[in-house]
Amino acid sequence: MSNENNNSDLLVKMTNIHKWFGRVYAVRGVDFQVRQGETVGLLGDNGAGKSTLIKILCGYHQAEKGDIIFEGKKVRINSPREAQKLGIETVYQDQALAPNLSIARNVFMGREPVKGMGMLDKKLMDEESMKALSNLGLRLDSPDLPVITLSGGGRQGVAIARALHFKAKLVILDEPTVALSVKEVGEVLEFIKQLRKEGISVVFISHNIYHAFSIAERFVVMARGKVMREVTKEEVTLDKLNELVIESAIVDID
Amino acid sequence: MNTANRNYLKKFMLAQSTSILVVLIILFILFAIYSDYRFIRPANIRSLLTFGAEFSLIFLAIGVLMISGEFDLSIGSLLVFSSYIFLKLFQTGLNPFMAFLITLGVGAFLGLLNALITVKGQIPSFVTTLGMMMFWRGFTLLLSGGATESIDFSAHPLFVSSMTGVIGLYFPVQFIWFVVVAVLLGVLLHYHRFGNWIYATGDNREASRAMGINTNHVKIMCFIMVGILCACAATMQLARVSTFTSRAGEGWELRGVAAAVVGGTSLRGGIGNMGGIFLGAMTIATIDNGLVAMRVPYEWSFVVFGLVILFSVLSSMYLEKRRLSG
Amino acid sequence: MVFGMKEEVENRKMNVKSFRSFLAQRSATTLVVFIALVVIFSLFTRNHVFIGQRNITALGKLFPDLGIIALGVGMLMISGEFDLSVASVLPFTSYIFAQFMLGGYAPFWALLVAIGIGGMLGLLNGIIVVKTNMPSFIVTLATLMFWRGVLFVWSRMMPLNIRPFVERGSLFEQAMNGTVAEFFPIQTVWFIIFSVVLGIILHFHRFGNWIFATGDNRDAARAMGINTNLVKIICFIIVGLLCGLSGGLQTVRLGSFAATQGIGFELRAIAACVVGGVSLRGGIGAMGGIVLGALTIPILDNGLILMRVPVFGITAFIGLATILFVLLNSYVERKLM
Ligand SMILES: Nc1ncnc2c1ncn2[C@@H]1O[C@H](COP(=O)(O)OP(=O)(O)OP(=O)(O)O)[C@@H](O)[C@H]1O
Ligand SMILES: [Mg+2]
Repeated sequence: MSNENNNSDLLVKMTNIHKWFGRVYAVRGVDFQVRQGETVGLLGDNGAGKSTLIKILCGYHQAEKGDIIFEGKKVRINSPREAQKLGIETVYQDQALAPNLSIARNVFMGREPVKGMGMLDKKLMDEESMKALSNLGLRLDSPDLPVITLSGGGRQGVAIARALHFKAKLVILDEPTVALSVKEVGEVLEFIKQLRKEGISVVFISHNIYHAFSIAERFVVMARGKVMREVTKEEVTLDKLNELVIESAIVDID
Repeated sequence: MNTANRNYLKKFMLAQSTSILVVLIILFILFAIYSDYRFIRPANIRSLLTFGAEFSLIFLAIGVLMISGEFDLSIGSLLVFSSYIFLKLFQTGLNPFMAFLITLGVGAFLGLLNALITVKGQIPSFVTTLGMMMFWRGFTLLLSGGATESIDFSAHPLFVSSMTGVIGLYFPVQFIWFVVVAVLLGVLLHYHRFGNWIYATGDNREASRAMGINTNHVKIMCFIMVGILCACAATMQLARVSTFTSRAGEGWELRGVAAAVVGGTSLRGGIGNMGGIFLGAMTIATIDNGLVAMRVPYEWSFVVFGLVILFSVLSSMYLEKRRLSG
Repeated sequence: MVFGMKEEVENRKMNVKSFRSFLAQRSATTLVVFIALVVIFSLFTRNHVFIGQRNITALGKLFPDLGIIALGVGMLMISGEFDLSVASVLPFTSYIFAQFMLGGYAPFWALLVAIGIGGMLGLLNGIIVVKTNMPSFIVTLATLMFWRGVLFVWSRMMPLNIRPFVERGSLFEQAMNGTVAEFFPIQTVWFIIFSVVLGIILHFHRFGNWIFATGDNRDAARAMGINTNLVKIICFIIVGLLCGLSGGLQTVRLGSFAATQGIGFELRAIAACVVGGVSLRGGIGAMGGIVLGALTIPILDNGLILMRVPVFGITAFIGLATILFVLLNSYVERKLM
């Protein structure tokens, strides 16, 4: 909370967000913000409400209550399409891939380049998807492969490449390092650092505090649908952060 | 390894379409032999192309709908209701082309109704359309009293020849329409953005939604397509036989699913292609016609189509297993 | 403004609450519909024949045909699968029953064989569904057609008179088509017996719990060590067995086999369960609701006939009623639960 007063460089500010799923009260009045070019680590136990919170930000869910301010303007994000238009790209926890479709078709799913009258520009799709993947350090033979034939890392690569191809202002990654080999984790983290160099804001959700600690500048800890702690990297050590997360999970707040 | 994978997959897809073609050719030969060559007489082939094209037209859309992950078991009833609408419109003295257009609109509406109940009510489409199958059939019977009515198109030769004429002295115009629609839907499915949305919706609906695809809209459009083609087939059939019967289209719903599955369309959506759907539809039409040519009693068709679906379900399972292990 | 919204939400919750807890008892909607139908038919049939003793007795003999099958289909649907083939397994087993009596077997043994064959057809459905992992409604649609075809070819669609084989007044005849205490149709007794037995299995036996678990979350059930495939197969077998019994009851009542027996049962059985509050997604349902549903659909049939609605109209009406009820249930499921 070091420069709370400096509102001009806020990219997105969510205030008092509430979300119910039937009887499950998943997000209970959360305030969450991301500044321009900042990398935020969103931490918390299973079921803390992290995914739900960011799914509200990327238009997949709609909050029952609460406001979102994006680049200083109050916005209503009613669908993933609207979030994409604002410049919010998301790598979903479950990757959101269509297993039987080709890599190229997955990368451009829903935003296919067209030549006119809605006809697909397949050549462009093939080239661009391969380029996005090789930027990530992934060399795949063909853009025509169905993603079901890829390894876990390959699939995660496609999901990330998709978010990176469309020049975004905010990239949200929900557990991107899960199911990856050590080498692949390194590549993903490297890439997130590169995003920051380009001035893109990142929200990074992870169970793995080491991964989060190595790239994020600020940490938000959630538990039971609420934000429990917010700290900057300067304020904590890795061990201290670990402690905070565990503490938040077990402390009974009510 | 990946290259090998891809080659394998391509080969597999090719093999799949080829195998349908092989089955089709074998069926042709068998039917020819066991029907004392009645099956391959030019007149019979023409009736195969005429009659087969009418329902195959609907099966094309059924295939597309199934790729999007939904079913429609109500096609026979949509057809008979559309027939009835056309009949009544025509009897008011309306120009048949006008009546045709309105009937298409009605067909689209029937498809829309199926879609809205399925999509908005979040109900499995086989239940929606099973209910609608009963409803529209019963409703048409109620309206028509179960009677057969003949129509006189003699004052409209242009209409008759555009619906059920002959091109190049031999080819029935229905077949031409069938091919045209297959090409259009094929382009839509494989080269148009909307086609990609259809595949994505059927393959992983949540993912498509997350990527900004309006999956409800996609499904609604596919249902409407089925409805329109039902109305189209209904009008063609009326023009050909000049008689309305309230039994038109009975049993087509199963043949539709069979055609799609025989053509390699997955029962879970997301997998299939227009080539396969086209060949699958032709296979079903051939079996239908071949059984008649062999003078097999009508009851046998139930047995045969039951087996055809079971067989295609098994092959569909095989297909899935190969894909997963591939 | 935000505060107002919150209040509104709270208000809505309060208003809805009592109504909700009523409707959340899924069978409650069924009960409302059931009572409404009975009242409407009683009032609007000519001379109130609907509640006349003769009609009630006739209904008591008729409704278990579908009702007994619906009990099994309901359990199957709770386990997450469908069976459309009941509409041809029923006449198929009837034909077996008639044929065996023609072949000189005593009616009792013929019935046992028919029930056994029914169970085997159910087993076949179950095995195909479980092994291929394909949607059961497609698989059973195929077997529906297949067995109907086999039956049509085999029987040439000719009726078979069985009256000479079932002695009037014999114990067997009494057990299949008699009356208890001068008034109570034995078919209803069978229905009650099966609903109690299956109800106990479903709600008080371990196997019932497995059925719910399988339908609710198959992967979780499997992870907890439940053999979900076996559960489903057994449910399919139960449906087949019940089809055999119901076929026997119907054949004895009619005095002959007819190839048109069971036509339309594929949707009516599902309709009965849906009206009875069974979820189309599996995992939700109760025997009480299924029993009410199994009564409602035949009453709908019967009442509409008495109101002189043409047969086609009834078909249309049942199709529509099914959809409306499914919509209602799905709404209740999403909004109120
Ligand atoms: N679509 C949904 N329907 C109903 N409940 C949901 C849904 N999505 C999430 N929940 C519930 O909301 C709560 C928060 O879930 P959420 O996925 O946001 O947690 P999370 O912090 O992302 O956990 P994880 O680390 O396991 O991903 C959980 O109790 C979950 O069961
Ligand atoms: Mg999560």
